Amino acid sequence: MIRLARPRLLSNIAVGVLIVLLFLLPVLYVLMMAFETPAHFLNSPMTPGTPTVSNFGQAWSSANLGGELVNTVIFSVVSGALSVAFGLLIAFPVARRLLRGHSMIYTYLFIGMFLPMSIIPMYAEARMLGLWDNAVGYILIHIAMPGLPGMALAVVLLTASISSVPLELDEAAWMEGSSYLAYLWRVIVPISRPALLIGFLYAMLNDWNDIIGPVVLLNNPALATVTKGINSFAGDNSSQYTLIAAAVVIASLPVVILFIACQRQINEASLAGSLKG
Amino acid sequence: MWGGLWLAVAVYTLFGIVPMIGNIVISFTDYTELQGAAVHNVGFTNYAQMFSTQAPGLEQGLVATAVFVVAVTLGQNILALLFAHKLAGSSRLAAVGRLLVFLPIALGVTIVGLLWSLIFNPASGPMASFFGLFGIHSAFFGADNWAMTLVILVQIWMNTGFSTLVFIGGLRSIDPALYEAAAVDGVGGWQRLRRITYPLLAPSITVNVMLALVGSFTMYNLIYVLTAGKYGTQTLGMLSFNVAFGSFEADLGYGAAVSVLLFVLTLVVALPMLLALRRRERKLLT
Repeated sequence: MIRLARPRLLSNIAVGVLIVLLFLLPVLYVLMMAFETPAHFLNSPMTPGTPTVSNFGQAWSSANLGGELVNTVIFSVVSGALSVAFGLLIAFPVARRLLRGHSMIYTYLFIGMFLPMSIIPMYAEARMLGLWDNAVGYILIHIAMPGLPGMALAVVLLTASISSVPLELDEAAWMEGSSYLAYLWRVIVPISRPALLIGFLYAMLNDWNDIIGPVVLLNNPALATVTKGINSFAGDNSSQYTLIAAAVVIASLPVVILFIACQRQINEASLAGSLKG
Repeated sequence: MWGGLWLAVAVYTLFGIVPMIGNIVISFTDYTELQGAAVHNVGFTNYAQMFSTQAPGLEQGLVATAVFVVAVTLGQNILALLFAHKLAGSSRLAAVGRLLVFLPIALGVTIVGLLWSLIFNPASGPMASFFGLFGIHSAFFGADNWAMTLVILVQIWMNTGFSTLVFIGGLRSIDPALYEAAAVDGVGGWQRLRRITYPLLAPSITVNVMLALVGSFTMYNLIYVLTAGKYGTQTLGMLSFNVAFGSFEADLGYGAAVSVLLFVLTLVVALPMLLALRRRERKLLT
């Protein structure tokens, strides 16, 4: 046993060091960069100098990050919420087999998880329907956009979750004369909370991080998302590295906070192995 | 009562399914970004143009796509397998490790792209300093001989966390009794890995290989942020975007034809791969 334990301990340490080097150090380095003066960074990039917050002030005032973050929050939260709401409206009758063709509907939605991203027809469709450069259109398109399958994934997760809810609950509600939507809201939504939350987080994060969509489907600077904003900010200030670093830190702060707040869900999702095919 | 269901299916059809068909339709037209210009049916002109020798980018796009797909699919799965093996446990440290490898997915392509552009910036920084020690000076993401390798590494870095989670799910579904039985029989280490872990992980390997394969074939958003397809990184997906939106010609018909070619290629590679992996699963599990 002792002969076995030592190489294992060594390999554990090696992988641990590798993960810290690859995944933590780059993030910490850019965080450090954001607090450097440009002169100090160019002269000695490997050692931290006297920290300054001037990059943050300059990035905030010259890049309209505030307005772009507000746009991003509205777009991604609304389209994420609509994705799971529509997903629930499909998943319940499908899981309960209340319709003829329920398995066909499920398959039809399931395909959506594997549709490749294709932005050219989205652009053409948005132009034709008057949804181009339009906040409402942008949100509608992101509910079911190929490549970012928020709604399709919500249907898959929720169908599995609702199938495990006992039928007696449906019958009890039926006897009480509760309306369909009220029943969904009062009984199914609380029971399926974990699936709803994962579906919502996934859809929301996909829309939050989308860069091709905002570049092609939006033109008005007042509608720009934070991804589009920092990408063009980095292009316009390509040699001001500490300034870009500060903008990157500001832009990623909301996601990092959400990530830490939802770490339990992320770990649980991995433990459930819910994506096993 | 089912009004909501049909509304939801209609939204999904309009913005999920119609675009996939629309892409094929557009590929037979001369549709441009110029609004109000008449759109004509041009038959197979776009496809003929694509395969003619004057069309720039196609041959290079095919090569770049092949290199990108093979390197990312292999790299992502090997690294994820290594991480999953060490992070599947229930310890506090393993949980922290899982979060760390998953962080890039939460950060998203734009932040990830800018983060690595900063670290590999040619003027000053850890990589310029490190390679400077060996007398190597490069523009990294702006250099023909570096850009593709770096783009591949960042793509792997970004998506390994997701593959790791899928592998962990697979590892956890293996019955511990099998390992105990193996221990009783005196089977350990390499043999245990080869005879128990590897075969029973087959379904997760199928899922992960397919996700990495299809993802690396069709996704170009990270390449858009890192190089916009310059310096030898223009895969077919990037080429399709660039001819449609990246130039003044704004040739959406031609861009759509390139993406139709890309989807056909993806299917031609992915379907036999899926069948082979499924067959392998059945063989290993029986």
